Formats: sequence, C-alpha cells, structure tokens
Amino acid sequence: MIGTITWIILAIIVVLIFIIISYFNRFAVLQNRIENSTSQIDVQLKKRADLVPNLVEAVKGYVKHEKSVITEVTNARKALVSAGNLQKKIKAGDELQNVLGRLFAIAENYPNLKANENFIQLQNELSAIEDKVAYARQYYNDSVLDYDNLFSTFPGNMFAAIFGKKQQEYLKISETERQVPKVRFD
Amino acid sequence: MAEIKERISFHDQIQRNKLKSFFLIIVIIAVIIALAFVIGKIYGDPFTFLIFGIIIAMIYVMIGYYASDKIALASVNAKPADKRIYRQYYNIVEGLTIASGLPMPKLYIMENKQINAFASGRNPRNSIVCVTTGALEKLSKQELEGVLGHELSHISNYDIRFMTLVAVLVGMIAIISEIFLRSLWFKNNDRDNKGSAIFMLIGIILAILAPIFVQLVQLAISRKREYAADASSVKFTRSPTGLIDALKKIKSDNINSSDSKKISKTMAPLFISNPFKNSDITSTHPNIDKRIDILKRM
Repeated sequence: MIGTITWIILAIIVVLIFIIISYFNRFAVLQNRIENSTSQIDVQLKKRADLVPNLVEAVKGYVKHEKSVITEVTNARKALVSAGNLQKKIKAGDELQNVLGRLFAIAENYPNLKANENFIQLQNELSAIEDKVAYARQYYNDSVLDYDNLFSTFPGNMFAAIFGKKQQEYLKISETERQVPKVRFD
Repeated sequence: MAEIKERISFHDQIQRNKLKSFFLIIVIIAVIIALAFVIGKIYGDPFTFLIFGIIIAMIYVMIGYYASDKIALASVNAKPADKRIYRQYYNIVEGLTIASGLPMPKLYIMENKQINAFASGRNPRNSIVCVTTGALEKLSKQELEGVLGHELSHISNYDIRFMTLVAVLVGMIAIISEIFLRSLWFKNNDRDNKGSAIFMLIGIILAILAPIFVQLVQLAISRKREYAADASSVKFTRSPTGLIDALKKIKSDNINSSDSKKISKTMAPLFISNPFKNSDITSTHPNIDKRIDILKRM
C-alpha cells in the first residue's frame, strides 16, 4: 500500500519536473527569438550605414548646388553609427531613411545621376534594406507577441513569476511610417 | 487567444507532416521488401531476394530523403539563380526569411513562360525555392513577395518534406518514365534497332505505369495545404493584395501559355498553381477563384 502511494507521488514529481523544464525551455526559446530579431535589425541598420558613404561619393559630383542635403545625410549616418541602444539606433535609422528619401527626391531632377549605374544599384540596395528593416521589426514584434502571450496566460504567467521573467516591450512605429505610403509610379 | 491557437495548430501541422513522412518511408520500405519477397518466391529463392530487397529499399529511401530536393530540381530542369542577376529575387526572399525567422533557402530558377513557383527540401535548413523565369518577368515586386511568402510557409511547416518525399518516392517511376520517354523522343534516328526495340518496350510499360503513380501522388497530397500556405504568406507580408494580384495574373496568364512539357507530372502538387491544364477532379490545387475569395476576406 505504501509502495503504490510512493510510486504515485514519484510519478507526479517526475511529471511536474517535465512541465517545469518544458516551460523553462519555451521561455528561453522565445527570448532567444527576440534577441535574434534585435540583432537582425542591428545588422540591417549597419548595412544601411555602410552604404551611405558610397552613395554620397556617387552623388557628390552631380548635385553641387544642394550640399545641405548631403551634409544632412552624413550627419544622420554619424548619428546612427554612434547610437547606443536599440531604440536609439532604430530612431536614428528612421531619421537616416527620411533624409535619404529627400536625397532621392532631389536626384529625380538630375537625369545624368538617375542614369548612373552605380547610383541605381545603391538606390535599389537601400530600398531593399528598407524592406528588410521593416521585416526585422515585424519579426521582433511577432516574437514579442508570442513571448507575451506565454507570459500573460495561465499557466505561463505562473512560471514566469517563478523564473523571474519580465514582460517584453513592442517596438513603436514612428510617425513617418504611420503615414499613408507614397504612391509609386513604376 | 486566437494567436495562441494559431501557434498550436502551426506546431500540429509540423508534427503531422513529420509523422506522415515517417509513415510514408515505412510503407515504401515495406512495399519494396514485399515485392522482392514475392519475386524471390517465384524464382524459388525468397531469402536472397529478401536481403536484396532490404538493401534496395534502404538505399532508395536514403536517396529519396537526402536528395529529394535535387531530384525535384532535376525533374523540372532548374538552375541555381545567379545572385548578381536576380537581385530582387534574392532581396525579397532575404526579407521574408527575416520576417519568418527561417534560414535562407537556396534559390533556383527554371526557364518557363508560365508564372509558377515551388519549394522543396527535407527541412528548413536544407530547403530550396524555385521560380519560373515567367514569374520573375510578369509579376510585380509585391506580387512576387506574396508568391514567395507562400513558398516559405510551405518550408516553415514542413510541407516540403512530406510533399517532396511523396513526389519523389512514389513518383520516381513516373519521373524515370517521363525522362526516359523524353530521351526516346529525341533519339529517334538511332541506328541500333534491336536495342531501341527493348527500350521502346520498357518505355511503353513505364508509360502505362506512370499515370497510376501520378494519381497516387495527387491523392496523398491534400489541397488544404495551399490555403494554409496562403494564410501564412499574408502573415509574413502583412497584406493579402500581393498574393491576390499574383493569383489573378496566374489565372489569366497560365491559360494562354502552356509550357509544361519539361515538368514531370508528379511535381505538379509542389507548385503554387497547377502547371497542367487538368479538370477540377484530378486537379492537385484548389480553385484559384476560391483562394482569391478567402484571401479577400482576410
């Protein structure tokens, strides 16, 4: 009789341990996903910053009368490179994207520049990076959603308290992105 | 809550695909061994044949599992996509892998005027995506994004493993016979008459067997997968418009151009839209209009 009860208790303990381990791992996996997606944003922003000097070099010769926008681009790039944490980097990245948008709008008035092979390539590359930054942010928010769902629903919330996990923050969409997307004629 | 449910069903789908793949492999092994045993019985030496059968079954399944994507690519004459030439193709897939957290698949193209695409491989780490040159020419960036999102969701929920295994393991007979018949077609002026007569006979037998195996492949692969992949594509791209427009283009375009001679019929279920003009009953894909309808409601 005592034997059976011991076995039952033992079985319950084993099951409990398994549940705890599985929840611990799920939190770890989702946290890794969030970290992974932040590094992905970082990578794309760095690529953007790396391309800017080449772009400035390509544009310089053509737009002599609009030095101010080039200085703005250079400054925005500097701000991005020196930005400390992710939130600041994202903000600086958005700022750089805005200024680049202005530069590309000005470039529309210079047919020779627009036909420049190197410029076209850089423009395409930068617009691809813009897409990738958006995707990386989307994945970040998806990852945070999964994490927070686990965090806030039973029994995940119980385990979150035991493991000392904190709720994760979503990335906020900046004002410029909330605007209606520009119509492109292509 | 809905999000959690979706996650769970996503996870279920992966488990189901893995389980089905496993059972498929077991069944194939059993069939080959049984066949070897029966042939051995006829020749009066079932034991030797049984051992041969086991060895052949193992090799067959191993090749099918580890080279399924390569066989699929070879059966449609696909080539690796040059990163310098197909910049946009690479950029879109790179973006989508970021959005879905998947590793980067290898990218391929196939010379074909149709708008079409498929994904293959045994798992996300060893996956490939292939699009037709027609798709790259005729689809806008947003439309291509919708189509490639659809393919990436086949990768992420392990549809590719089961679908490619079925197509390759069950469809191997059909693939071989189609390649065989195609090569016969081009070697008409062969002088060796005796040899070609035997080849003719093998060709005819294979030609009779092939449609049966094609039918088996189509029965095994459910059309529901396409709806699920459409839905995940919208989740990745955050907008159904691209895929809707792409499907509309596919519908109007693929009626006009039939350039499907170089595609093995067993590969049809792998594609985003059926490369063959089949009737609805034998079709491997759900009706395009219905797919568009469902997407519009998202």
